Amino acid sequence: MGIRFASIRQLMSEFPSPRGLLPAIVLLVLWQIFQSGNSPYFPPPSTWWTGLIQLAAGGRLLTASVATIQTIVVGLVLAIVSGVLIGVLIGMSQQASRALGPLLEFCRAMPPPAIVPLAILFLGYDARMKLTIVALSAMWPILLNTSSAIQHIHPILLDVSTSLRLSVFERVRLIVIPSVVPAILLGIRIALPLTIVLTLLVEILTSIEGIGALMIAAQRNFQSGQVYGLLVLVGMFGFLLNNAFSIVQAVILRRWPPRNVQA
Amino acid sequence: MASGRAVSRINWPGLAVLALVLLAWEAVVRAGVIDFEFFPAPSAILAGGIELAKDGILLQDLLHTLLSIAIGWSIAMLIGISVGLLLGFSPLVRRYSLASIEVLRPMPGIAFAPLGLLLFGFSLQTELVVTVLPTVWPVMINTMGGIANVQPRLADVGRTFRLSRHEIIRHLLLPAALPSIIVGARISLGLALVMAIVAEIVGNPEGLGYGIVREQQALHPEAMFAYIAVVGVLGVILNAGVLGLTSLLWPATVPRRGM
Repeated sequence: MGIRFASIRQLMSEFPSPRGLLPAIVLLVLWQIFQSGNSPYFPPPSTWWTGLIQLAAGGRLLTASVATIQTIVVGLVLAIVSGVLIGVLIGMSQQASRALGPLLEFCRAMPPPAIVPLAILFLGYDARMKLTIVALSAMWPILLNTSSAIQHIHPILLDVSTSLRLSVFERVRLIVIPSVVPAILLGIRIALPLTIVLTLLVEILTSIEGIGALMIAAQRNFQSGQVYGLLVLVGMFGFLLNNAFSIVQAVILRRWPPRNVQA
Repeated sequence: MASGRAVSRINWPGLAVLALVLLAWEAVVRAGVIDFEFFPAPSAILAGGIELAKDGILLQDLLHTLLSIAIGWSIAMLIGISVGLLLGFSPLVRRYSLASIEVLRPMPGIAFAPLGLLLFGFSLQTELVVTVLPTVWPVMINTMGGIANVQPRLADVGRTFRLSRHEIIRHLLLPAALPSIIVGARISLGLALVMAIVAEIVGNPEGLGYGIVREQQALHPEAMFAYIAVVGVLGVILNAGVLGLTSLLWPATVPRRGM
């Protein structure tokens, strides 16, 4: 997954032309002009803004945003820690990877939303349950990428380290980490959108504090302006988180550039 | 992992571990080590599943989910490939719309559920809104990337052979972009399953996703676990099926190792 996405990076180099925002802006302006009435389904963009202001005035918007972002970040960190640890263990041992393969394959193919009702049943409605779901489902891409990268470390590199009598610590620092870091980053790139989706899903389903809960409440009260406003806000979250991660990734990859692990 | 090769060589240790986990689970529940009210043993789940299957409701839910995946994925492919081709072939269109697409793309699909509910209520349309919007992107981006990344020299070769523009596109550019498009289609299909389940949990009271919630709320944990297992098996089958089909039709497009 995500293997061909390098191509978009190449396109990005010709992309940052802000002219590309033109269609979106034109659409929004036309929408504002031609929807002057109070349509319950397609409210004009100005009401999106007033809807958000209403929510912000009560202080609810801020607490909800903080709760959502906190869940995403903490859940992702938990997923990274557990995914990398288990991935390393499985990657180190051929037998372990073969023995656990089908089980992991089943867990990975399981659509993450299916475990939401399960977690609710066991853990009840609280922040712990939210984090468990996010961490559990975001873990798989990181785990599988890590173990696959370790399995693909070129045998010659390991032979070399033996001939040079490198200590375990040096071996990890010089050979394992540089081979694995790019793969872990790729796993996180796949996991990040998943954490956002699952956080919102749990909030929508359980109405636990968060942006998702605000969205579903707005929909139930037919506050269509708020629904659209929150949608834009969530889109901005996604945009910012993805781009923030791209920057982090670029910085880390400069330190540990990807190797051709497939060699 | 080795989904393709798994067919030719059965992974006995892997299957043994799977069986062992199920056995341990059964034993733990039977012995009452875990005292969870809602934690049925695998045998009870199987019985619950058979009950549901006899009832016919499981099949009905499965068919609904498959149907909405099929419709949603087809719509996403149609939009994704046509817009992707347009973007790939025309640098002008790309320049004047790519930024808009990049702003919309990271939007989490689930965020459209309240919007779908607002517009269509609890219905198949809501499910399709939630399914189609996020699944369009992988196909669109991969189609665009596939076309735009074809070696410019390939088109030059076509011109040397005096092929018409139409022939160059049909015989040179499209085949060159095909692997990338197929990868996008595969990612989209996996996503379509996830989003269909999400939509059924939140927005459309039908199908496997709703089955899970329904049985959870009715406090029938065996039936709920049975639905979850069916969803997991469906995921495995769709994954393996699409991977197998593509490796049969276009061997070059399948990565050497699973993932």
